[in-house]
Amino acid sequence: MLSMKNSHLTQTLSLFAAVLLLSQSARADVLADARARYAEGEYQQAAKLFEQAIETAPPQAAVFFEFGRCLRQAGQDGRAALNFQRALILDPRFSPAAVALTETNTDLGIPKPAVTWQDRVLERIPMDTLTLTGAVLFWVGVFMITFLLLLRAARRKGLYALGMICLAAGIAALALAWLCDPRITDRNTAIVLTNGGASVLNSPAEQSEKIASLREGTQVQILSQRGRWFYGAIPGGARGWFLTEGIVPIIPPV
Amino acid sequence: MKHALALLFLSLLAASPVVAQEVVAGLSSNQAAVGEPVQLVVTVRGARGADVPQTLSVNGLRINLAGRSTQFEMRNFKMSSTLTYTYIIVPQFEGNFTIPSFDVAIEGKTYRTQAMHLAVSGAAQVPQMPTLPQSMPTVPSGPPPAVGNDNGRPYFAELVLSKKSAYVGEIVPVELRFYFHSRIGGQVGERPNFGGEGFTVQKFSNAVKREQVVNEANYVVFTFQSAITPVKAGTLEIPAASLEARLQVPGNAPQGLDDFFNNFPLPQGMFTETREVTLQTKPLQLEVVALPKENKPEDFSGAVGKFTMDASVSPKKAAAGEPVTLSVTVSGQGNFEGMGAPSLVGDEGWRTYPPSDKFQAADAIGFTGEKKFEYPIIARQDQTKTPGARFSFFDPSSGKYSTLTTDPLPVDAKAGNAAATASAPAATPGAGAGATPGPATKPTPDIAVMASGSSHWSSLFFRKEFLIGNAALLAAWLAVVLAFSIRSFSASNTGRMIARKKQASDALSLLRNADPSAFYDRVHDYLTLRLNASIEPGSLAAKIDSSALPVELKSSLHKMLERHDESKFAAGGISQPSAEERESVMATLKQFHAFHEK
Repeated sequence: MLSMKNSHLTQTLSLFAAVLLLSQSARADVLADARARYAEGEYQQAAKLFEQAIETAPPQAAVFFEFGRCLRQAGQDGRAALNFQRALILDPRFSPAAVALTETNTDLGIPKPAVTWQDRVLERIPMDTLTLTGAVLFWVGVFMITFLLLLRAARRKGLYALGMICLAAGIAALALAWLCDPRITDRNTAIVLTNGGASVLNSPAEQSEKIASLREGTQVQILSQRGRWFYGAIPGGARGWFLTEGIVPIIPPV
Repeated sequence: MKHALALLFLSLLAASPVVAQEVVAGLSSNQAAVGEPVQLVVTVRGARGADVPQTLSVNGLRINLAGRSTQFEMRNFKMSSTLTYTYIIVPQFEGNFTIPSFDVAIEGKTYRTQAMHLAVSGAAQVPQMPTLPQSMPTVPSGPPPAVGNDNGRPYFAELVLSKKSAYVGEIVPVELRFYFHSRIGGQVGERPNFGGEGFTVQKFSNAVKREQVVNEANYVVFTFQSAITPVKAGTLEIPAASLEARLQVPGNAPQGLDDFFNNFPLPQGMFTETREVTLQTKPLQLEVVALPKENKPEDFSGAVGKFTMDASVSPKKAAAGEPVTLSVTVSGQGNFEGMGAPSLVGDEGWRTYPPSDKFQAADAIGFTGEKKFEYPIIARQDQTKTPGARFSFFDPSSGKYSTLTTDPLPVDAKAGNAAATASAPAATPGAGAGATPGPATKPTPDIAVMASGSSHWSSLFFRKEFLIGNAALLAAWLAVVLAFSIRSFSASNTGRMIARKKQASDALSLLRNADPSAFYDRVHDYLTLRLNASIEPGSLAAKIDSSALPVELKSSLHKMLERHDESKFAAGGISQPSAEERESVMATLKQFHAFHEK
């Protein structure tokens, strides 16, 4: 009886592994096909295949970059900028995507944003590593101080200091990751993808006063939504209403 | 009767209000040759007298007050008086002079004139390239006004070109002047009408109003500045320019009274009439020469004028893929609107983009100024110097082409990986318009190796594994803290007391069902626990004695101890306690328990 149960379990695990391998293999095939089409100059076809690969697998910065590059060759600079930006969200230190985004924005007439201290941090430290390190240091500090307190080891000042340093460093690292991680800071950022740009209005009505025009590729901060309208902040700090059509969040909804 | 009417009129005249005071100064010309006299006229309105300086001290100019004239006018029964002080300026030597503002005192109040500029040349010839608006060489559109006295023309206009011949594309400053005799009031149009075929006209500057003496008559002059650009070679016919005006000109006395008023020297302007007029300049001709084809630089982009060029770069240090901005500034005089951007030289290894440009005019017509071209450039390979810039233009004063260059500037720019290794295949039409085409490389197959990063859209803070891990650590920490707390509590006096109470309570409950032979042993155990007595003989009895229990209760407890000793030490033991005895003992112990709990 026991041997029969083991046999079933083994079969199920084997089946699961086979499905996993097959799906990975299928995705690898799609990517290989997309790259081949791209190399042959069939950008529209390649773009479709890249899109398919992105939809069926966990996101990867390199695939978004390749997809963006393909869209740029196909003349879709706005969508290309979106995908370069997505590649940078996943890997802020992926310099090919940064260069490609700068070039695309230059062609779209989007001014380069000022470099912030968060950008400088992102250039140097991977966010997941920073978060994990912060968490580890935090808990090491917490446990050290707790044990020292409970064991009444008041004379071990060196250990107390080490515990406090670990705790402080952990909190600092976690705070830094929270303030810098683009997946947190850009969670409300969207990009204008309409060909003619978008109009920013004073109120959510098509006849209301126009405050500004946004070029294709402009990034905006979405603050709230009312029906077909977004209320958001545009570059320069002004706020206004714009239609949701053609405004795509940089971080895709899960 | 006639004399009485005249007297009445004159008395009304004397009582009529005087118009607001005003002091205006102007030069008959703002340029002259050495020794050529120029008039400075100070006009004082609304006053019957003024104190003005006899001489003005300007190094290089001899300025003396030459005379004064007074004029009374009446318009619609409002009296006005005009005093005119005329100075003669004789330039002593060549140069640009500023006649400073000076005080004019009128009935205790002090007014200041505006400063004026006078350009003095060594000879009375027209310079080739004037600078607007201070000196405008005159190629007037018509003869000077044929006025020599107050009976001269009340208004006229002239078109002044800065030169008689020009090249195609060259900016030629022009000035439109509209003269009105100072006795005339009224309104003039905001902009003159001017235009024609074969040339383009710049936007006109705002009108400048000044006073000028022409043939000893005082005129108010409205000046508009602009520039024309010939677009084809040949003789260019410049048509007349015109300006609409609504004037109040001196009129005649009403019919029937003219005989009467003609008998008296009445103020001019007493009777005025409104007249709509159009002032027109005379047409002019300009000889336009085509730009020479010989020695024309390859990068010539249509700039005609006289220019200088400068360059700067920012930032001076750029990380991989970060663009730097090369700013090239072309400044001078010429057709800034028609010029193309300077070309970059030595830009191999750089990805360059078309520049943005911004023009900053230094005068009202955009003839003088500077144009800044900003080139975004990204290093393909590590670079220590920017590209240089090259700019060619045609200089009309020399009739030759000139080329300006700037040296490469030091910069520390790292190569962007995308440009170096992952750039797109050869650019297709319409894709990446404006960019310099990248090298035609195939896509890098192992591009995925270059990217690492996360494969999640959500931050680690919000991911299940991170949250579960932290929750587990939190639980472990709580468990540790709890275990230590329990341990330390148990070791404390309170903990021990609670433990004893619990044991005593357990012992009391055991008594009910205790074996009758061991009943008093359990009673002894219970009392030992409750009174925290030791196992030493006599310890419990001593505790009972030292406690604050009532005497009767103490006595009962001692009896129990005696019974326990009997059961323990008497030969053959004691008889087993009856049910009544057990109940009595239990009642006593409950009483003890209650008392002890208090």
